[in-house]
Amino acid sequence: MKVPVKVTVNKKPYSVEVDTRMILADMLRDVLRLTGTHIGCGTGSCGACTVMLNGETVKSCSILAADVDGQEVTTIEGVSNGANQLHPVQEAFVQHQGLQCGYCTPGMILSAIQLLKENPNPSESDIRHGIAGNLCRCTGYQFIVESIQAAAKAGVKV
Amino acid sequence: MISKEYRFEAPRDLGQALSLLEKHGDDAKILAGGMSLMPTMTLGLVQPDVVISLNHIPNLDYIKEEGNLLKIGALTRHDTVRKSELVKKHCPLLAEAASFIGDVQVRHRGSIGGSIAHADPAADYPPVMLTLGAQFKLQKAKGERTVPATAFFKDLMQTALEPGELVTEIQIPKLPDGAGSAYLRLHRVEGNFAIVAAAAVVEKGFRSARLGLAGVGPKAVLVDVTARLKGGVTDAALKGVREDALKASADAYGDLNGDADYRRAMAQVYAERAVRTAAGRVR
Repeated sequence: MKVPVKVTVNKKPYSVEVDTRMILADMLRDVLRLTGTHIGCGTGSCGACTVMLNGETVKSCSILAADVDGQEVTTIEGVSNGANQLHPVQEAFVQHQGLQCGYCTPGMILSAIQLLKENPNPSESDIRHGIAGNLCRCTGYQFIVESIQAAAKAGVKV
Repeated sequence: MISKEYRFEAPRDLGQALSLLEKHGDDAKILAGGMSLMPTMTLGLVQPDVVISLNHIPNLDYIKEEGNLLKIGALTRHDTVRKSELVKKHCPLLAEAASFIGDVQVRHRGSIGGSIAHADPAADYPPVMLTLGAQFKLQKAKGERTVPATAFFKDLMQTALEPGELVTEIQIPKLPDGAGSAYLRLHRVEGNFAIVAAAAVVEKGFRSARLGLAGVGPKAVLVDVTARLKGGVTDAALKGVREDALKASADAYGDLNGDADYRRAMAQVYAERAVRTAAGRVR
């Protein structure tokens, strides 16, 4: 069964038809071709599929595409100001080696932005709690924490 | 993609949702935050014929005070509960418990009504609801009733909800002036369900003391420890609390996080700590 969905993604309106069984992450990747959102576990644990729904981070593997009708989504493609620009939090991850394989990175960046939006001066513990919903199997998290600390210290506007 | 086909309904008001639920009965699953439903559907463990989303119904997401009650709409997300000034002021135990649920993303989407209706034996809300003396408003197409938390949680993921009924509101009596409360939980990995969780409320002058435990059996349990604490927080009183916690966890289960005996041992430790912490917060 297909249903129509009108959704704004990265400030751009889309009108699509999706299978009722499709998850939001698959709609972003396969229908809208926004492949920056990754899918890890598919069951709401790893956070690789993190996007913002109406300005708050959620796991797009655990939300139905049909259920975002009328809503607003921001993906990793929408965080910077232009195609060849990085968001300051992305820049901090580059400068401080906050990634290795990169699979968790889009979700990790969105969680970092969410954290800094609510708490511009997070402690190390705040940061670790803030990214608890995002698993990274490469870095051991230390450089991710340092990247977010650096972004906070630079006083980035998120 | 979820393998089995189903019909998706997104009613725009509560009346529509209740009619759909009446029509489809057990063939339908209610989708609120979906933090438990979606993964189980993706894994094929739950295969409904109809999914009824509550996410497009306005006015199901609120926190307000009415007399001595705090009333919380079923679709209120955990993060809203956690941050609510009203909750922090009148039921800090609930805000404390909400801050432990899942992780940031899960708290943004998961809902209080969904978690309560799901009735996971290790979930954070049930022991808190028991300890606070909460009651739930259940509505169906024709009629509504209010059920106390003690009668709502029946067994492993079994509740007093009848076919066609929906949890629409959580009603919690405000804590009396000066009462202390605490929520403590044992987990190995942040974001996981608790292995054991303990919620405690101690009233000023030890007029009453209640303890809620989760992870110690098929459902959360309530223990009245008022008599134990009559003489204050003494070694004997805490020993009594530990004995009560052991008795309350007779039906403890084992899983990869710990066997039943470990849960019983931890239930005693967390019960004592929760009661001690709550008593220390009495003002």
